[in-house]
Amino acid sequence: MLKDITVSFSPHISKPLSTRSVMVDVIIGLAPAMAAAGYYFRMRALILIATCVIACAATEWVCNLIRKKPCSLGDFSAVVTGIILALSLPPRLPIWTAVVGSVFCIAIGKMVFGGLGANIFNPAMVGRTFLAVSFGALMTTWTVPATLDANMSKVAPENILVSDRSEFRTQATPLAWSKMAIKNKLGADTYSEANFRGTITGEVGGCLGETSAIALLIGGIYLLIRRTINFHIPLAVLISAFIFGAIPYALDSEIHTEPTFAILDSGRYVQPFFHLTSGGLLLCAFFIATDPVTAPLTRRGMWIFGIGVGFLTMLIRIVGGYPEGVMFSILLMNGVTPLIDRLCKRIPAGGKPVVS
Amino acid sequence: MEVRVKGRFSFRGGVHPPEKKGLSCESSIQAGPAVKEVAILLSQHIGAACRPLVEKGAEVQAGQKIGDCDAFVSAPVHSPVAGKVKEVGLRSHAVLGRSPAVVIQAEVEAQPTRPSWEVNGDFDEGKYSSEQICEAVREAGIVGMGGAGFPTRVKIEPNPRMPKETMIINGCECEPYITCDYRMMLERTGQIVAGVKLARRASGCSRVIIAIEDNKPAAIEAMSAAVRASAKGDNIEVVAVKTKYPQGGERQLIEAVLKKNVPTGGIPPMIGVLVLNVATTAAIADAVVNKRPLTHRVVTVSGEVIARPGNYYVAIGTAVGDLMEFCGPVTQKSAKVVLGGPMMGLAIADLQMPITKASGAITVLTKGQIGRAKFARRQTACIRCGRCLEVCPENLNPTRIAHAVKSNLLDLAESYYINACTECGCCSYVCPANIEVTGYIKTGKIFLARQKKKMPQ
Repeated sequence: MLKDITVSFSPHISKPLSTRSVMVDVIIGLAPAMAAAGYYFRMRALILIATCVIACAATEWVCNLIRKKPCSLGDFSAVVTGIILALSLPPRLPIWTAVVGSVFCIAIGKMVFGGLGANIFNPAMVGRTFLAVSFGALMTTWTVPATLDANMSKVAPENILVSDRSEFRTQATPLAWSKMAIKNKLGADTYSEANFRGTITGEVGGCLGETSAIALLIGGIYLLIRRTINFHIPLAVLISAFIFGAIPYALDSEIHTEPTFAILDSGRYVQPFFHLTSGGLLLCAFFIATDPVTAPLTRRGMWIFGIGVGFLTMLIRIVGGYPEGVMFSILLMNGVTPLIDRLCKRIPAGGKPVVS
Repeated sequence: MEVRVKGRFSFRGGVHPPEKKGLSCESSIQAGPAVKEVAILLSQHIGAACRPLVEKGAEVQAGQKIGDCDAFVSAPVHSPVAGKVKEVGLRSHAVLGRSPAVVIQAEVEAQPTRPSWEVNGDFDEGKYSSEQICEAVREAGIVGMGGAGFPTRVKIEPNPRMPKETMIINGCECEPYITCDYRMMLERTGQIVAGVKLARRASGCSRVIIAIEDNKPAAIEAMSAAVRASAKGDNIEVVAVKTKYPQGGERQLIEAVLKKNVPTGGIPPMIGVLVLNVATTAAIADAVVNKRPLTHRVVTVSGEVIARPGNYYVAIGTAVGDLMEFCGPVTQKSAKVVLGGPMMGLAIADLQMPITKASGAITVLTKGQIGRAKFARRQTACIRCGRCLEVCPENLNPTRIAHAVKSNLLDLAESYYINACTECGCCSYVCPANIEVTGYIKTGKIFLARQKKKMPQ
């Protein structure tokens, strides 16, 4: 006769999936962006990524120790948070600042809510916002990619301040430049098309992982193929950002009377494509907005969430005071996620029950 | 020659668990174990339980009715063997816990023999009236043999308030491992077609669709040939449906084949549909033509640790353990015995539990296999990845329901339509955090029913 037979709820088999395998997929998806960061910013990038990952993991370990909970490092979510935080930091950020940001990420962004799955806001964006608000100057110092010849005369438009400190050169990011164009400090045509191409390949000043659109796209497509993320949120973010970026561009009175297909025009507003490839929009669309914990569950909710992120980002970029709006728009939309979920309930396949 | 068929019909959601049907699909139906003793549970169906008609010590004949009930939604039970009533006592029941059963000591210990059945294509159901068929089905104690065990008479009887037009014969068998319906379709094709015609005649349906998953091309071929050869078979259609779990679920099958949804909380006749399992139709034919009650059924015994996996013709009331022994020595590697398939079947603790009319399979899983399933691995927090929403065939929000139940917020669970859940298990199957989503939902449904005093404490 059999001994020790187990009794439990059905189903008795399950798909070989775990939270860890989902997170590992995200890390693989982020690998191209990390590689691009390593290529353009060399050792700085690797040091920053390693710092953030280690600091995040250590913080989670300590928090679990304090809360007397089992170690949750095995799900690798702290690693993902660390990588995303690192990729959204400027390359020249001092190590201690990155550590402060990482600790804030995990401790305040995640663990105070009860750990993975319970946090309301995206931890990486919480940490980044903390750094941006606390260390404004450090967070807006952008080094020139190592692949560019820093002594080249036209690294940036001449009328943008390029600091020339002894150890490194800095450069305004494409978005900072477009902000200045909006504020009529310079014409939109002063930026060369070569620098627009830089936003696609990544050969431009900016945060570690945000500069290379191609690397982010490759990673995003990998996640889509692996079905780790749904296409709804990325598509909604990109479409709405494009539309809301196109509206002021189309309405710009300084634009030529004839329709033009040039990438850059001489008006105050830049091409909407430029908005898609520059700044953190692609990183946001594929890796940050799709963070399942802080995004809505239902399809309709995902569309609303994505459109909201795209709209708020463009609102901040074009109208607001900051050149980049991704982190604030993510946090704002995270805040309304529970409301969106409540608004977009699923209706059963057979319709609402006739008798309640 | 292998026929390649591509199913056109499907439903939204669902999962693709490994099929594992190869273990037993080539084994033809064999006689099951000889039994010394059978325990006939008095509640083998949905509805009112039977009361025993025999007392301890009484002599019974094979096929004699030993339990009945006057309630409309009920079905009598019969003895599969001739012998003596040993006791009327409690036996394990997969759903009810301990339940009354009539235990019969067999006169002779013999393997069940399968009555032969030769029906040619011209089987004429015209000589039976609808009332005759319904009465025969009721007297034979036929219940849905696909797993739910709903009394078939109640289903096929014409109801003027809900006229039935379309009958779907469910040959999907979407659960992994199970092959008993597949073998029935191959070996008892004529009997099934005769049963289909009888059910059509009884219910007054004008259209019949036999739906078979496209991973069973041989069954599709056999059924199509039998229908073509049969007289008056022109409004019977054999269709291939996509292989996907839970294709064999009543509501999903209707959605797939007819592109209609049964109203939430409703039943198929509300949209004029009747769904019968293939094994049930075979039993109908046997009951009406041969006046034989439902006392035996085909059970698939399968699993990697079973020495002789296959499909066995067994007497209802045979102990699960006896049937497992019959299929080879039971090794200690077996860690979980499931009555039914691994997706929806019930794990049992007592191997003396008798086979009922609705048990189509015994699946034995190893430690390695259940180690992959939820309970053995640590559950982690829900990361709200939404996979359960994607696979839910009823378009529910399983994670929210489960968490509402976990927090004991039954009102909230109800507002997420907890009672629309069919407990198919897809959500638990895909959950990366190893959460027993289906388990929570089932628990919540029981709590709710108790709250509304539909179920004893």
